[in-house]
Amino acid sequence: MFEAISNNPYRNLRAPRVGLRRLRPALPALIFLFVFMVVPLSSLLLLSVTKPETGLGNYISLLGDATYARVLLNTFIIAALVTLVTLVIAYPVAWLLAILPSRVSQIFFAIILLSMWTNLLARTYGWMVLLQRTGVINRALMGVGLIDQPLPLINNLAGVTIGMTYIMLPYVILPLHATISGIDPAIMQAAAITGAKPRQIFWHVMLPLSLPGIGAGCMMVFVMALGYYVTPALLGGTSNMMLAEMIAQQVQSLLNWGLGSAAAFILLAVTLVFYAIYVRAIGLGRVR
Amino acid sequence: MSAQAPLVNIRNLVKHFGSVAAVDDVSLQVGEGEFLTFLGSSGSGKTTTLFIVAGFEDPTAGDVEIDGRSVLSVKPNERNIGMVFQRYTLFPHMTVAQNVGFPLMVRRRSKAEIDKAVKEMLDLVQLGAYAGRKPSELSGGQQQRVALARALVYKPRILLMDEPLAALDKRLREDIQQEIRRIHRELGVTILYVTHDQEEALRMSDRIAVFSHGKIAQIGSGADLYERPADAFVAGFIGNSNFLQGSVVQSQQDQVAVRLDDGTVIRGNTRHPLAANARVRLMIRPERLALAPSNDQVDQSLDVTLSDTTYLGDMLQHEVVTAWQQRITVRTNDRAAASSAGNALKLHFASTDVMVFEDGNRATA
Repeated sequence: MFEAISNNPYRNLRAPRVGLRRLRPALPALIFLFVFMVVPLSSLLLLSVTKPETGLGNYISLLGDATYARVLLNTFIIAALVTLVTLVIAYPVAWLLAILPSRVSQIFFAIILLSMWTNLLARTYGWMVLLQRTGVINRALMGVGLIDQPLPLINNLAGVTIGMTYIMLPYVILPLHATISGIDPAIMQAAAITGAKPRQIFWHVMLPLSLPGIGAGCMMVFVMALGYYVTPALLGGTSNMMLAEMIAQQVQSLLNWGLGSAAAFILLAVTLVFYAIYVRAIGLGRVR
Repeated sequence: MSAQAPLVNIRNLVKHFGSVAAVDDVSLQVGEGEFLTFLGSSGSGKTTTLFIVAGFEDPTAGDVEIDGRSVLSVKPNERNIGMVFQRYTLFPHMTVAQNVGFPLMVRRRSKAEIDKAVKEMLDLVQLGAYAGRKPSELSGGQQQRVALARALVYKPRILLMDEPLAALDKRLREDIQQEIRRIHRELGVTILYVTHDQEEALRMSDRIAVFSHGKIAQIGSGADLYERPADAFVAGFIGNSNFLQGSVVQSQQDQVAVRLDDGTVIRGNTRHPLAANARVRLMIRPERLALAPSNDQVDQSLDVTLSDTTYLGDMLQHEVVTAWQQRITVRTNDRAAASSAGNALKLHFASTDVMVFEDGNRATA
């Protein structure tokens, strides 16, 4: 009986069984994940329901208290705004990179990657120099005579959005470029010869065909933006604090480990929900 | 072509890519309702010429007129031309019906009008039952028929087809060729068709323009090209052919006598007067040759030795070798001529079937 099964020429076509033996090569990674991810997360979860007292008090106050709820809402608004602005700026760039001769687009890619590899803190300080009241941008605009008073570009929503959008751009440009490059130019030519105007080709053909790239890029940016800390802390104001800042404040300044942990868990849960929605809508294979 | 003004008039078209002339002084006229095929190997300029007509490429020089007016400054989407591409270009996110309706949708026609026209077109290409499918659920042949419906739904006067059947297998290709012929007859649309397949060109076209190195080597009906090729290139490109080398003994109008390298003199026809002693090439179609035992007396012949016979079902193909070791192919359905390899035979042929060309340096593809 067993002999017969093992001689079955189709046996390799069955779904492979994920036995413990097959997982052996992944063992170092699994141990790493367990020690540095599962254990700390479990202890955080424990903290969130035990400190200062046992129960769901931390979660109730986070979602019930107006101040905390505002931070949560603010986090979503900023993440959504950054995602939208990033997409609007990244799309034409990705398009241009897809149609430029490869020698030219290589140079642009080098610039984009270099900016990605530059230290985040250094880049954020760079934006502070540019955006502050007496910064380069305000002085230039006043020098030209376009404005009389310096524009409030820092320690507010504008500062956070500018700084974060800049940092997120490559994460949308790269997947979007991959998708747009994969669209057969003959499909655009076919649309044009049937009488479609460039605007119609964009809305009815190109945009729908680049949806997988848009989805992948936006998903990446939105999830990253939800948990962003350094840039909002340096470029944002107190009135639009994001969740990560609040967690740091609770843990570092107020030593309120329970509330901080609960906030971290809410962030994690929300991220997982968005990820699940994305996977359902577009499919795991498209997350590059 | 009729005496009326041509629908499409291509005048002295030139297109350079860098230092390469992809199209090199091409001129031709296409009559209303005509089926004209651009035939040539890859890189011969046929597709570039078609893309200039479509408006996807700008010519370096020359002009394209439609209805007597230059269209060079008209964008592709305003030329009102239909086109079917070599690659599958259906919009993958739309259904078959949405694909076919797209040209009318961008023209802002009413939904009722679009639905009616889409149904008509899908019936024309016999895919009425597939309206709700996505392109990925169709075979290659079905996708190209939908592409044809999409290219015709807005009733363009000119339909461009760029090797639309190149990716399909032979049987399917022949089915769709017939369908395209039927649609051409039913709608009377003018078709410019690009292919590298001479059989396809002969089967479908009213006229064929043979492209070579960016120029038109010859333009005419299939019979013109086969029976009266302009030069050795066209003779070699269309159909099967045997070439022999020789030099002119005597030439009088279209009659010419040529001495082969072994001294045999053969009479043939020429389209151009030839000077005495000019090096020439003689071309004879394999099916215009006949074999006879070597002691038969025939009008005009060559002594050959049979080297091989292949049975092709409807025909026999003999490979024979001349005294100077040149191989010649003979196709015949005369089974009596069968003989065994190594036998001495006489190859005979009429002087009207021998075409004599100047020995240019052009390749014979």
